[in-house]
Amino acid sequence: MAPIINQIYANFLEKRINSAKTKTEFYDNYLPIKLQTLEEKLNRKIEIIRLKHKQKLLALEIPAGIESDYLKENYEAEIARLEEKFYWKQRVVKASAKRKGEEAATKLQELDKEKNIKASEIKNKYYPEVSTDAKSNYEINQPILIQSLNEKIDKLQDSHQEKVENFKNKTKKAVEKYQDINNNLSTKLHEITKDKVAKYSLEENVVLSLKSLSMHFGGLKAVDDLSFDVKEGEIFGLIGPNGAGKTTVFNCITRFYKPTYGDIYFKNIYGEVVYLNDKLVHNIIKEGIVRTFQNVEMVWELNVIDNLLVAAHTIYRSGFFGHLLNSRLLRQEEKVMRRKAMKILADLGISDYQYAYPYGLPYGILKKIELARTLMANPKLIILDEPAAGLNDAETADLAKVIKKIRDEYKATIFLVEHDMGLVMDICDTVCAISFGKKLAIGTPKEIQNSKVVQEAYLGGE
Amino acid sequence: MICRTEVCKDRKARIKQITNHPYFGFFIITFLMLIVQLLRAAGVPVSNTLVRAFGITMIYIIVALGFSILLGYAGLASLGTAGFVGIGTYILGYFTKNLEASVFIVILVSIVGAIVIGLIVGFISLRIEGMYLAIITLGLSEILNEVFKNAVSITNGTNGLGLDSQLILFKNLIFIDHNTIFIVTAIIMFFMMILTLNLIKSPTGRALLAMRNSTSAAQAMGVSILKYRLMAFIVSTVYAMLGGVIYMSYISFSIPTTWSLAFSLNILAAVIVGGSQSIYGIVLGTFMIFGLNLGVFQQFDFFKNNPAISVMFNGLLIILVIMFYPGGLIRLVTTTYYKLKKALAKLKTKWREYRYGSDN
Repeated sequence: MAPIINQIYANFLEKRINSAKTKTEFYDNYLPIKLQTLEEKLNRKIEIIRLKHKQKLLALEIPAGIESDYLKENYEAEIARLEEKFYWKQRVVKASAKRKGEEAATKLQELDKEKNIKASEIKNKYYPEVSTDAKSNYEINQPILIQSLNEKIDKLQDSHQEKVENFKNKTKKAVEKYQDINNNLSTKLHEITKDKVAKYSLEENVVLSLKSLSMHFGGLKAVDDLSFDVKEGEIFGLIGPNGAGKTTVFNCITRFYKPTYGDIYFKNIYGEVVYLNDKLVHNIIKEGIVRTFQNVEMVWELNVIDNLLVAAHTIYRSGFFGHLLNSRLLRQEEKVMRRKAMKILADLGISDYQYAYPYGLPYGILKKIELARTLMANPKLIILDEPAAGLNDAETADLAKVIKKIRDEYKATIFLVEHDMGLVMDICDTVCAISFGKKLAIGTPKEIQNSKVVQEAYLGGE
Repeated sequence: MICRTEVCKDRKARIKQITNHPYFGFFIITFLMLIVQLLRAAGVPVSNTLVRAFGITMIYIIVALGFSILLGYAGLASLGTAGFVGIGTYILGYFTKNLEASVFIVILVSIVGAIVIGLIVGFISLRIEGMYLAIITLGLSEILNEVFKNAVSITNGTNGLGLDSQLILFKNLIFIDHNTIFIVTAIIMFFMMILTLNLIKSPTGRALLAMRNSTSAAQAMGVSILKYRLMAFIVSTVYAMLGGVIYMSYISFSIPTTWSLAFSLNILAAVIVGGSQSIYGIVLGTFMIFGLNLGVFQQFDFFKNNPAISVMFNGLLIILVIMFYPGGLIRLVTTTYYKLKKALAKLKTKWREYRYGSDN
């Protein structure tokens, strides 16, 4: 009994540790977003206070006859508005005269007179006769106004600083709290599991390992006794003629098929080796394996960013009721995720399409969006099913660059099936060739090119 | 008013922030629904039929909202709505009349019942899809209908269950007039709209859409088909049962013939006619299918004497909408809105040319 309970407890602890990790990550990501919004709010408030202050000052400046920039600006703007108004009035007069076949000259003269009167009125309004009283009044009040403005701005900035500090402290506390939890739980977990040797082990720098994998459909052996290792940080290509069972291998790894026999081991994002045969299809992504499909599978009703967010589905902490009530946590998470999605789109050079709907976008762009989508879930292993299918040469070259970039910048291992030999030989570090479910050869692209067995499989024997 | 100063522009931006808020439209709809009641309160003679039509339409909007989550987002067709709404009405009737339970307990019980039924149907939906699922839910609904007819001790059989407009809020029997329930219904509808919008704009809504597009892609992205199918069915059943509870408290009478296949089909028609993925579309569709008949046609003797005509009208409407506007009538509304805007802009330029003369 005891080992089973221990196992359950250990699983529970693992889950808690993982959630604590995602929480700390969330707080780290949310901090800059919050600070930015606070800053924007402050700047807007300060701007409006400055404007109000200028208007108050203007009321003092006008009778005192002090010429400031703001006064001049206002005066010129009002004159310009007057000009425009009378321009349109002139147009009306001219047009109606033209329609009726009359002369417009007298009416235009009247309009000019009216305009001059109004202009002089405006001038009087802005430059009235200077009185000494007003001047002294200005001299008394101007410094007071400026002082009050400064005080207000200082107050705002102080409260802003306070808010920022508060938020930073809050975040810090939360992060510390979760780190503490993490450490405590980790020690507990270690105590429980120290007696036990790790259940599964993989060689160092191996991410994925297939051990004599077989998949039989009735009498058809789609995959037969296939074993290979995928090393960390490499681009691994799986090639073979049509019907060799490449996609079946993919489907076995991602649990769409249950292999007839054979084992699949994977080192997940937390560095633990997991036995993939025990996992469910929709939990594979939590371990860090993301896949794409041969034909792009988009959610056509959603725009590109929302399509990316679908793949971040497992990272959200907010639950069903949080979604129903649009909780604060959800809104914060959405901000974090959107920023992440935008960053990924910018990295892949498709940020122009972020609000577009995928329907009708070029195929090359759709493929890139699908690649971007895999990155949303912090993957460790990206499985690409014929990424270059249906692309032209230029698009394929572009895709090769993007795949390399993903490998380098996002530290993900890439495992792809491809028919385009140019692409495979160009980007892959290791290539495995299979035929009728059996492994033919594995090695560097050069070795595969020169391998006689592979040539025979592709071109037929003599 | 034209804004020239920055302060004024700021104020205008704040007003726009409110009017552009997604909930603002729901508020306007609720207010429009309440206008009948307000007119009556102000002393304008509004016929009882019209007020009742608005009340019933609001209740059916709640039911249709739940159904749209199922059909428009999860992509699952169900014809069991009538049975679920019926259960809601009978739960309220039985609990108030025989057990003298408070309304809140009734709502709790109906939610629990909805979860149970949703789980059952959801598990069925895992194995069966499309048309076959619709037929199975239809069977379930028919079974429920037979139960309504024959469980006389609870449902009073084919005579129908009446409540004499009595409700128990906390402990005592309270006679609540229909006007109050009308207003409460409007408020509930408002909140249900908000909840629906929140749900469909959230990760859950996106997961449902992903599942509808391709189950395998959704699974690869971490969406558990089991969880979301069950969730969709439970949510839709809860909406339906809540609709039933409100129906019973507003109409105070429930008869099995109301909860037949025709009702399920009408809800389906309302969602499809309006637009299955738009909340405004559902409001519009429910009005076209239920509101027009109850509120407008019933005012004329001709339609009263020939009830089949309104059914024919519904049929014609469905044919036309599916032929010309597969996205629902809401598409027609939005396209005409933009066309009108364009035409207005054109008219404006023409008028300007006439008034101000050409630019040269």
